[in-house]
Amino acid sequence: MTAVLPAPTPRAGRGPTPRAGRGPAPRAGHGNIIAQQRRRLLVPLVGPAFLFYTVLFILPAVAAVWISLHKWAGSGPMTFVGLRNYVQVVQDPLFVRAFGNTLLLLIVVGLAIFVLAFAMSLVLRNMRGRGIARSVIFFPHLVNALVFGTLAGFLFNPGGLVNALLRPFGVTEPPAWLAQENIFPLIMLTLVLVNTGYYTTILMAGVDRIPPYLYEDCALAGANAWQRLRHLILPLTWDVFGTCAVLWTISSVKIFELIWIFGGSSGAGIPPTSTWTAAVYTYVTAFSGQSIPAYGAATASAIISLVLVSLLAVLLRRVMHREAIEF
Amino acid sequence: MSQTTRSRQGLSPALRGESSVPRAIGIGLLWIAVALGIVMLVWILVQSFRDTREIMATPFGLPTSWKLDNWVTAWTVGKFAEATVNSVVTAVVSSVLTVVVAAPAAYYLGRVDNRLTRGLALYFVLGLGVPVQVILIPLFVMLNEFYLTDSLIGLNLVYIGVSMPFTVFLLIAFFRSLPEEVEEAAAIDGAGPWRTMLLITMPLAKGGILTAFVLQLISHWNETLLALTLLQSTDNYTLPVALIGFVQQQTYSGADWGGLFAGICLVVLPMLAIYLWLGRRLSEGLTLGMGK
Repeated sequence: MTAVLPAPTPRAGRGPTPRAGRGPAPRAGHGNIIAQQRRRLLVPLVGPAFLFYTVLFILPAVAAVWISLHKWAGSGPMTFVGLRNYVQVVQDPLFVRAFGNTLLLLIVVGLAIFVLAFAMSLVLRNMRGRGIARSVIFFPHLVNALVFGTLAGFLFNPGGLVNALLRPFGVTEPPAWLAQENIFPLIMLTLVLVNTGYYTTILMAGVDRIPPYLYEDCALAGANAWQRLRHLILPLTWDVFGTCAVLWTISSVKIFELIWIFGGSSGAGIPPTSTWTAAVYTYVTAFSGQSIPAYGAATASAIISLVLVSLLAVLLRRVMHREAIEF
Repeated sequence: MSQTTRSRQGLSPALRGESSVPRAIGIGLLWIAVALGIVMLVWILVQSFRDTREIMATPFGLPTSWKLDNWVTAWTVGKFAEATVNSVVTAVVSSVLTVVVAAPAAYYLGRVDNRLTRGLALYFVLGLGVPVQVILIPLFVMLNEFYLTDSLIGLNLVYIGVSMPFTVFLLIAFFRSLPEEVEEAAAIDGAGPWRTMLLITMPLAKGGILTAFVLQLISHWNETLLALTLLQSTDNYTLPVALIGFVQQQTYSGADWGGLFAGICLVVLPMLAIYLWLGRRLSEGLTLGMGK
């Protein structure tokens, strides 16, 4: 393909190539007719995507802010209450619990995932059969979390597999794994096991970029494993950590399915309140069907989650931002 | 992959002295995790052919005979048949439309570089940080207004809208990585901008577009919260919603683990098939640009 191409100027395929649309100066150059003609296609090309996205995503998001300022049961009149929904939600012990749980998932589960994933990416770095290992640990990311919730329920139920495995070791009175107070730790454990593989894959991409000669340098300089980690691997993968942290922040705030599937255990179809996350709180407040739906309060709680994500994303960018190291 | 590692080790003696005890333990643990993962998957599949009593008595046993009872139960009682059809149709239709809508936009935003397109690209990326629960209630109200709740058409529309940020973001990066010279050559040969895009660039971008399509297929197949909120009648349920319904049914009628395992297989196996088909391309698509 490249053989037929005329190559008047050496241009890189990626990155900011000196394209026609960039600045007014180079417009006279060759190859710009196509760029000019293309520029006229803004509406037919971007229009549909813009429309779908604006109507079905941005508009609802803006509407959410509006609804959160009103008292509204979904139908009938909306009464403007200002920030009272927010005050009410923040004072609701259920929300405080749910929000705390979300923070636990974000921070504790997040840290556990990162430590494990980083350790795994180091082990995988030049291991035999790493292709296979990587493929297997990535797969859970493609499976609905409901499945893991159901499996955890099966493994840990009183007559389940875990107790059967413990019996030979003399554990005749195993803990009630699925008692209300134990479900949330179980959920945290499940999340760690399920997500570590995905983040390992991302971190591996970062670790793999480090050229082998830097490891040789380390060896020649007599660095031990810890020094190599501290002064070579961590600094050079730091930006990937930053990306992963933002990614986990966004996805941890959305966690819903894994909690919801434990609803069966309480009988009412709603999981025990001790396991609620912010997303579950929003859903139950609006759609549980057990009380008058409080759309205002529900959206207010969702907006608080959005604010949390935005703040953390900005903060993480600040904290994790370092001068890019060229290598 | 291991080839390069080996040759690298051959090159440099400095890299070889890494076999330490913690590393050996790490490798051991990793392979145990990998083995457990595979065992788990096989185990689920095997259990779906055994009845609940057998499963509870010997959780590790093999089926005495390969019974399809669970699959029949799941298919009929659990309403998984309709749910599977709904899920397949919804996932395929919404993913196709997502890509059809997003690819031209990403092409334009990736190729034309000015203040407007940079702003638009940012506008699309903004959605990546918004948790679904924020738009859940307004979407429900809005669709209700147009009689699109409890409707697969409504769900499809929502999936297309919600998928825009990620798909546009992914494809912009992809189109930028394609050489522009081919398009210029086509223009010199007299092809208009439409022909250039449809006949030259899009075929070149097949790989990236396929990746984007399959990633959406996976995420729409697994999507739960929106489907749970927007669909009300069992006839319209998608698989995740049907699975939740089936699990909740168990609380009243006693656990039918066999049927449940069949249901789980219905959710997991298509993903496994896609993964075996496309493998690394998927994991690379999902980690694209993050390692760079």
